[in-house]
This record gives sequence, structure tokens and C-alpha cells, in this order.
Amino acid sequence: MFLKVQLQWNVIIPSESLDAKGLALQKAIVVRLLEDFSTKKATKDHGYFLAVTTLDSIGEGRVRQHTGDVLFPVTFSGLTFKIFRGEILEATVHKILKHGVFLRCGPVENIYLSYQKMTDYRYVPGENPIFMNEKMSKIEKDMAVRLMVIGTKYMEAEREFQAVASLEGDFLGPV
Amino acid sequence: MHHNIYLRSSDFLFLFTSIYFCPEFLKAKCLMNCEVALILERKYEQLQQMSDDPVNQVSQVFEKSLQYVQRFSRYKNPDAVRQVREILSRYELAEFELCVLGNLCPETVEEAIAMVPSIKSRGRVHDDEAIEKMLTDLSLIKKFE
Repeated sequence: MFLKVQLQWNVIIPSESLDAKGLALQKAIVVRLLEDFSTKKATKDHGYFLAVTTLDSIGEGRVRQHTGDVLFPVTFSGLTFKIFRGEILEATVHKILKHGVFLRCGPVENIYLSYQKMTDYRYVPGENPIFMNEKMSKIEKDMAVRLMVIGTKYMEAEREFQAVASLEGDFLGPV
Repeated sequence: MHHNIYLRSSDFLFLFTSIYFCPEFLKAKCLMNCEVALILERKYEQLQQMSDDPVNQVSQVFEKSLQYVQRFSRYKNPDAVRQVREILSRYELAEFELCVLGNLCPETVEEAIAMVPSIKSRGRVHDDEAIEKMLTDLSLIKKFE
């Protein structure tokens, strides 16, 4: 699910850039904010950081004692992406293995759908393995599948989310 | 308060605008794939104008999200997108519910309830007729897109 959030971050401007006034300083702050935003990638609370949509305010700068840098509190709105337990969404098949299927959804690279969570589908081995059910409905690489997210996990070190999914439910399966 | 901030340098022009599709968007906390597609496409266009190499200007997260929403948007036309939000906003739906319905476009009442079970939970005012009407209104947008 894509979310719109309002955040307040501290943007640090090195002392060298502080000769600039007005618009140039504002630009330096915005540029820095965008860099920080891009590098941050994701947090557990907000999900993945996509884009800054509006700059709402820039507060008064505070000088940091030891470095001479100035810290500006910046309030802005941005887009993020997060997946939730219980959410039904569409994902694309990335990899098919004997015991299950790996799917992707936006910036989430790792959604795992176990064979145990799609009990009417059977693994069909081959050069391009697939899962198939009695009605000849296929799950194959690059196709879209509607699934339910039954668990999520945030990996702090990698700054990424992983999830576990299920097809046990009405109107779930290949799209 | 939202600002229009224009920033120039010898190399590029930064343009930040508040993107209003309709009044409801201002208060929106969740966004549908089709709404996100319009926002990210516009951002990408701005970057293309500014730089020779727009691909390196965007994060992996941005790129993957853009690909995703382009594939999974049921509505492409900005007016249609606006109408979807407007129609769904008439029903007492939580932000999350509204977006799941707008993303998955269920065709029947049964499917809608399967996608968003909470719309039928105790205390909610949605009867099948109201859900049916909502789905019919949505399907009309699709026809005229």
C-alpha cells in the first residue's frame, strides 16, 4: 500500500555552504533533504521512501557546537510504500521452486508463497517450471498473482521488508 | 501550508509543486496505484528534463515502484483517477479500504467483500445494494476512460 506521510527531518548543512543566503541556502537544504531521503531507503514504521512531494516548512537553523554545521528541522510530505499483514495485493512472480514461489511487489523483493498455502496447485518441473491446478490455471514467471499477505518482517540491517503470502481464499490466484 | 519552490542552478531546475487531483487527496493518507503512477511519472519527467541521465537520479525504490504502479494501475487518465477517488469517497470507507478497492477493482459484491472483509463487519453501514452501486459507478469510469 502506498502511503502519504508528513515527516520532520533534521537536515545538516556544512559550514562551507552557509555563506549562501536566501534561495541558495534553501536549495542547499532541499538538495540535502533529497539525498538523505534517497539514502535512507526504508524504516520499519513508514516503509520504503519513494519521493518527496511537498516541502512544507524549514525551521530555524541551530549551530552544532563542535563542527560549526547548522541543523535545520525540515517538515515535508512524501510517498512511502509498506505492506501489511491481511492486505490483499497483486504481485509479480519472480522465481519458481519446488516448495514455493517468490514474488515481488514494488520495492519489496521477497514475498514467499509456500506450496502449503496454495494447496490446489502442483509443481510442474521443467526448463520453465510452473505451478498448475486441476483447472489448468498456471502460475509462471513474470505473471501477476493476487495474494493475501499473512506475515511481514522488517530486516533492520538490509533496510528491507520480507513477507509471506497465501492463496487460500476466494478470488485469489493468477490475475 | 504547501509551497511552490523554484530552485535554479546552472545545471538543473528543481520544481516542487503540490499535486492536487481533488480536495480529498489533500487529506489522503493512502494512495491508489493509479494516483501514485501519475505522481511518479511526473517526477520522472521533471528529472528527464533536468538531466542527461535521469535513470541514475532515481533510487532503486523509485524505479521499482514506478514499474509496479504502471503495470498495476487500472485507470490511466488523470480525470478518471480523480473520479475513482471521488466516487469511492462517497461511501464510508477507511483510507486503506478505499485504496484496495480502487486497486483491485472487484466486479461483484462477493469479490469486494473478499478483498476488503472489513466493509461487512459489525456496525458498518454497507449493505449489498450500496456496494453494488459503488461497483457499478466504478465500472462506468472504466468504460469511458
